[in-house]
Amino acid sequence: MFQIHTTEDVLRLAALASAVIAIAILVYYLVARPPLGRSAKVVLLFGLGVMPLAVSLAGNISGFEYTLKTDFCGSCHVMRPYVEDAADPTSKSLASIHSRNSTFGHESCYTCHADYQIFGAMTTKANGMKHLYFYLTEYSNTGPYGEGGKPIHMYKKFQNTMCTRCHSTEAPRWGAVEDHAGLLEDLRKGEAKCIDCHTGDQIHPRAFAHGGTGKGVAAAGSAAPAHAGEK
Amino acid sequence: MFNVTKITIRRLVLISIVMTLISLFLMVASIIFPGPLLLVVAMSMGQALGIASLVLYLLAIALDLQGYGEHDELGNAGSAGSGTGAE
Repeated sequence: MFQIHTTEDVLRLAALASAVIAIAILVYYLVARPPLGRSAKVVLLFGLGVMPLAVSLAGNISGFEYTLKTDFCGSCHVMRPYVEDAADPTSKSLASIHSRNSTFGHESCYTCHADYQIFGAMTTKANGMKHLYFYLTEYSNTGPYGEGGKPIHMYKKFQNTMCTRCHSTEAPRWGAVEDHAGLLEDLRKGEAKCIDCHTGDQIHPRAFAHGGTGKGVAAAGSAAPAHAGEK
Repeated sequence: MFNVTKITIRRLVLISIVMTLISLFLMVASIIFPGPLLLVVAMSMGQALGIASLVLYLLAIALDLQGYGEHDELGNAGSAGSGTGAE
């Protein structure tokens, strides 16, 4: 039922164990009502302070780790067009290709969309709170794939750093693509955007915002663009 | 201003325990069922409740250590209910 594979699993288990100890102490106190002597005070300090703090700390870290996962993003139904495509092994969309990378595929949403400044994780999560607000106020009554809701778009303008964090523009194979080589300086300055060529319908082809239908085969082309000079 | 008795201290501890149990319930639920709403509720309301309950408990202990309610212990013993607590 509960398998331990990652640090996150260990933290979850630690949090649950601490919670069980705390609850046992508190329930015992409620049932037995021992006098509030020195030993009872110390034991209660564990039940009311130390153990809940451990639950909170371990729970926060494991909770934060879980929010990085694609499963978490997909728990809101309006994300289904995105995560179902990303999980589709036959899809040729950029989201799906990246999600098949075993290193970060299970966190592909966060890997591409997170802010990468010093407080990037915090600003990303703050935006996540906005997501939740808009989901509850504007999208909660939409169709199973978010039909009927406003097209979903990013809060911030696309930044090339979302791609160049991994695609450094230094790799020979990347530079061998004529379009990349021709636009190299503009791409590095941010004057040309990756998404000028790798457009939204190639990244998330099922998204309504990119002309998709939410599910099934994409309406628009889903393969990466054939670069000039690319074989 | 406030008439602090042993019963008051006892009630503070009980309120603290109940608040902690609610807080633990929220946090455990968010660990077992980590949905967006539950995570937000656990990380905000759950932890606020937990901190408030710890503060209440520390207040109760501080009052107890200050000796509040010592003088009325015998007089209130009959109405204090179970475990009103002789130290």
